[in-house]
Amino acid sequence: MKDDVTSFLPLSPAALHILLSLAADDLHGYAIMQEVARQSQGKYKLGPGTLYDNLQRLIQRQWVQELGRRPAGDDPRRRYYSLTSLGRGVLAAETARLAGVVREARLRLQMAKPRRA
Amino acid sequence: MLRPLYCCLLRLHPSGFRTRFADEMLSIFDHAAGRAAAFRLLLDGFLSLARQWTLRPEFWHELSSAPQTASDGIPSFYTIDPFRPRAGAVIHGLVLSAAVFCLTCFAIKYSWIRVLHVRIPEVQFDSPRSIQSNAGREASEKAPVPPHSVGKQSIAIPSASVSAVKAPRYDLPASIAAQNSFVQSPTTGTPESQVSSGTQPAVEVAGQPRRGLLRAPVKPRDSQPSPLLSRSVSHQPQAQQMKPQNATSEDSPSAKLDAAQRQRVIEGAIAKVKVHYAYPDVAQKMADALLAYMNSGDDDSVTDGEAFADVLTKQMRDVSHDAHLIVVYSRDTIPAHSAGATREILAPYQKKLEQNNCYFEKVTILPHNIGYLKLNSFPDPSICQPTAKAAMASLNHADAIIFDLRDNTGGYPGMVTLIAAYLFDHPEYLYNPRDNTTQQSWTRSPVPGNRLADKPVYVLTSASTFSGAEQFSYDLKMLRRATLVGETTRGEAHAGSWHQIDDHFGIGIPDTRPINPFSTADWEGTGVEPDVKVNAATALDTAEKLAEKKLQKK
Repeated sequence: MKDDVTSFLPLSPAALHILLSLAADDLHGYAIMQEVARQSQGKYKLGPGTLYDNLQRLIQRQWVQELGRRPAGDDPRRRYYSLTSLGRGVLAAETARLAGVVREARLRLQMAKPRRA
Repeated sequence: MLRPLYCCLLRLHPSGFRTRFADEMLSIFDHAAGRAAAFRLLLDGFLSLARQWTLRPEFWHELSSAPQTASDGIPSFYTIDPFRPRAGAVIHGLVLSAAVFCLTCFAIKYSWIRVLHVRIPEVQFDSPRSIQSNAGREASEKAPVPPHSVGKQSIAIPSASVSAVKAPRYDLPASIAAQNSFVQSPTTGTPESQVSSGTQPAVEVAGQPRRGLLRAPVKPRDSQPSPLLSRSVSHQPQAQQMKPQNATSEDSPSAKLDAAQRQRVIEGAIAKVKVHYAYPDVAQKMADALLAYMNSGDDDSVTDGEAFADVLTKQMRDVSHDAHLIVVYSRDTIPAHSAGATREILAPYQKKLEQNNCYFEKVTILPHNIGYLKLNSFPDPSICQPTAKAAMASLNHADAIIFDLRDNTGGYPGMVTLIAAYLFDHPEYLYNPRDNTTQQSWTRSPVPGNRLADKPVYVLTSASTFSGAEQFSYDLKMLRRATLVGETTRGEAHAGSWHQIDDHFGIGIPDTRPINPFSTADWEGTGVEPDVKVNAATALDTAEKLAEKKLQKK
């Protein structure tokens, strides 16, 4: 299972942001877009085309699932998405990978600093 | 304004994506504030559209369908697009397609074919040969057409000049033929060269038969054959009369036939019949019969060419009961095809037509503004078209029109079509029993400036109304365009085409079976029945009265 998950890594920025935004809460598409914008401080803006293109792939890989229920009084066109356990695993694996990358990067940058100085 | 555009964009997405996400994307669009955001979304929609169609073929169909496999492991079929239209849309579609269907039927019925430039495919039974012969005919139609069929009482053998050109499908007035010298072969100039076969030759050239009129002898229907009938039909006695002349005047190498020659002729006839006869099964039976007669020695006693031709004719007719099959013997060598004599043959006929006003004997306006045209032939349209046009133009303002065909002895189907064209406001199919359907089978209606298309038409017929005139009467009657007044016509419908067997023998074979759109039988042997049966002599009075009555009613 673990091997399966790692074979999809690294994730594309869009996929990573979507998984990340769904990690805290179940959201609908528009909320995902807003959450992604918030996460990146408005630097990464996801258009609906890209969002749903990624969502359909994530759904197909069963990392994300569509929820049947929605809050009363909401726009009936909206659908809510949540992370599956598999998706959560993938996100964790990606986070771990990124952590490794960051650690490695910090290490290299620290090593480089004295040289430069 | 942008929202419908965005909707369209979403609609253009692959069905799987569309059904799943289109609504949500639209809701996001609705949330977007400001034109700039809307434009951004639109751009995003375009990119998404391109991406979905080019990069995501796996999502073109329903997302949920992870390929289903049947129990035995073979992938089961699944539909491309699970989209089902609303019931209302289905009903709309039904109504719309029914309306289009009705409209199309209506258009076909009222022959907007000419307007739409739809070419009606030609009906072909035995395509390769017919096409060849049609092609040959079309090619030869450009050249002036000689009046082969003039010789009603004695028709030229396929002599060089006669055979060089296309034969018309109808016969010209016997009166011309009687006086005409041009039926004599211009190459030999001798009347003896004529064999009264009743056959209109169009000699086979390089294996391609030129189609011509085969006038097979018609059995007289009544006990008193008219002079015309006797002239046109009784070829046998004439042939025999000619024999002594020929025998003395000509050195005829094949006057005495030996067994080998007979066998060659029989085999030639069998080959031609098998290839050209319209009914292959009957052709096979005839072939069997001819061989049986030959093998049994029944033919051995016949050494005379003409007698032998008659014997073969009889043997074939006994099996086929087809009076249009005929074997013809010519004492003269039937020359090979040679061109160049067309003009010579044509000249006297042309002169004759000029002298006779193309057989438009009388064109006048009767009391009550009834147009009257007495036409004694349907002459060659390539010569007489101006005359025909002038005649019809002079009748253009008539309130009714009477065609007097009581003395009409037929002629060219092209002229039949030309005149009939004035009587319709749309192209109409004219059935011609001697020819497969061609473009010529359709009238070139409407004729510009013509006012006769909806006027009552009366056709006067008599027992001598013949051939092409019968076609004119028959087709107008069947199309319910004319009222026929007079007597039942002569009953001459069929014809065949001429094929050469060897230097002296030829065979006439009915080779076409055009579809009669009106009925299973045409007027062969029975004639065309008039709608109002009166004595030919009083037909004009009757028709005038009928026309007056009809005009008064209006």
